[in-house]
Amino acid sequence: MSAPNISGQEAAPVRTAASARRYSVRRAAEACKDFGFVLPAIAFLVVFLYYPLAYSVYISLTNWNMTRPVKKFVGLDNYTRLLASEEFYQSLKVTMLYTGMDVAFTLGFGLLLALLFNVANSRFYAFMRGVIFLPYYVSMVIAAMVFIWIYNNQYGLLNYVFGWLGMEPVNWLVDKNTVLPALVAVSVWKGAGFAMILFIAGMRSIPVEYYEAAEIDGANRIHSFWHVTLPLLSPMILFLVITTFISSMQVFQSIDVMTNGGPLQASNALVYWIYTMAFGEFKTGRASALVIILFVLILLLTLLQWAIGRRKVHYEG
Amino acid sequence: MFFPVYWLVISSFKTQFEMRSAIPSLWPNSFQWENYAEAFRVIPYARFFGNTLVMSLGLIALQLNVALMAAYGFAKGRFWGKDALFFLVLAALIIPEQVTFVPVYVMMSKLGWLNTFWALIVPHGASAFGIFLLRQAFKSLNNDVLEAARVDGAGRFGMLYRILLPMALPTVVTLVVLIFISGWNSYFWPLIMTNTNDMRVLTVGIAMLRDSIAGNEAMHFHIIMAASVMAIIPIVIVYALVQKHIVAAMAHSTFK
Repeated sequence: MSAPNISGQEAAPVRTAASARRYSVRRAAEACKDFGFVLPAIAFLVVFLYYPLAYSVYISLTNWNMTRPVKKFVGLDNYTRLLASEEFYQSLKVTMLYTGMDVAFTLGFGLLLALLFNVANSRFYAFMRGVIFLPYYVSMVIAAMVFIWIYNNQYGLLNYVFGWLGMEPVNWLVDKNTVLPALVAVSVWKGAGFAMILFIAGMRSIPVEYYEAAEIDGANRIHSFWHVTLPLLSPMILFLVITTFISSMQVFQSIDVMTNGGPLQASNALVYWIYTMAFGEFKTGRASALVIILFVLILLLTLLQWAIGRRKVHYEG
Repeated sequence: MFFPVYWLVISSFKTQFEMRSAIPSLWPNSFQWENYAEAFRVIPYARFFGNTLVMSLGLIALQLNVALMAAYGFAKGRFWGKDALFFLVLAALIIPEQVTFVPVYVMMSKLGWLNTFWALIVPHGASAFGIFLLRQAFKSLNNDVLEAARVDGAGRFGMLYRILLPMALPTVVTLVVLIFISGWNSYFWPLIMTNTNDMRVLTVGIAMLRDSIAGNEAMHFHIIMAASVMAIIPIVIVYALVQKHIVAAMAHSTFK
């Protein structure tokens, strides 16, 4: 339908109502095809994540016991009982202690390693970084096995080494004072290499001029660490605090393999307790209420960290 | 940092007697290769190994394809509600696994899928992290090539698998490795979804090995160590092959 093209420029197509409709129908069909590509992912997330999330909330309001099919609606009863029980506060305390130690030591150790091993263009240092990063990918079950053996009170290496210093053997995983630090140590061993890699990536993105400027101002190495490196690393620190925090709050594998929550609940962290409640005692309703409490706790504390971070974290430029 | 790994390997070659000596030795008196054969006798090790492999490969096949398609849709597609749906994907990153396991367990049991590979693989079809990682990679690729392909008559699948996939290959390889490693090491999910030796995976099997000999740990730890060494070999190989890419991708995707 286009007019003869005399001027050498393309003539504007004359749109009739019908062709406009055809055009928008084709646009809609294209959009549908594009949407079709994200559909499988959305379907998986809805079926296996968002629907179960809603269903967990529902179960948490019932007295469902997995061995019986009857679900009776009991309102907030599971929540009030949990919040009134001493066990809950014990488990919460264990989880927060574990999480606090894990975040502090993983990040602290990771930063120290980053400062020691951030040497560019050296094969030896690149190899060392690989070695330090490796435990991150070793299965927690296997890491736990090795550490059970190292912590063994009769034949373990740790007590042997401590014996040189004249210390009495300690039953690391059975003593309620040492069980949490012993579990944290395994997690720090696994996670510090990952923190190191991210810190090194962060350090390398800091422009050299900042250090040169600090040097001109008479700053020594410690000064420039405090006033240049650390502030400019703060987005990475925030990222690691949040991700380490979320995963520590969910500590499960090491407890299941190393301590079973013992001795005397001293390592009965929330997720392990949820697991024993759901699959040991079959108290599905109660366990679901605890799941929701855990989720809300993680959500609130993550938002809090993020909000604090937004004010304190220094972004470049 | 390397010492616990060294200790694992060294302990796997010791005899029971040497494991229990008052002075731990840094080098075995003689290498007990029988410990490795013994691991196959004490638990159905070959079966566990095969199950772990099938589960990991299944997860790669499913998660990778779902993530490739979603990443293509989110990076290059145009449709209403795209940002809202992408937010739904990102929000999945902070929902703990424990929130879903009871309802999914019930679902699997109703479908008759408990104790099958379906229950181990299908619920983890969509990986929010994978979608995010690939979307970032696709976004950074130029649209001109896609336009050229469209003119040549390529469909969406053609553009995704023949053009975008090869162009984003380093990211794709990284994701495959990460899915493999997390599948290989997963514990909580297989522990809940399976309950017979036929379907157990290595992590659960090794934990079971410890439980089955609880009380006389020192008697059998050399065998647990041998079983563990064999279980980390695939991880170490895969890790050694692509370590550089993983480090780069991690640093790139997480920073800012």
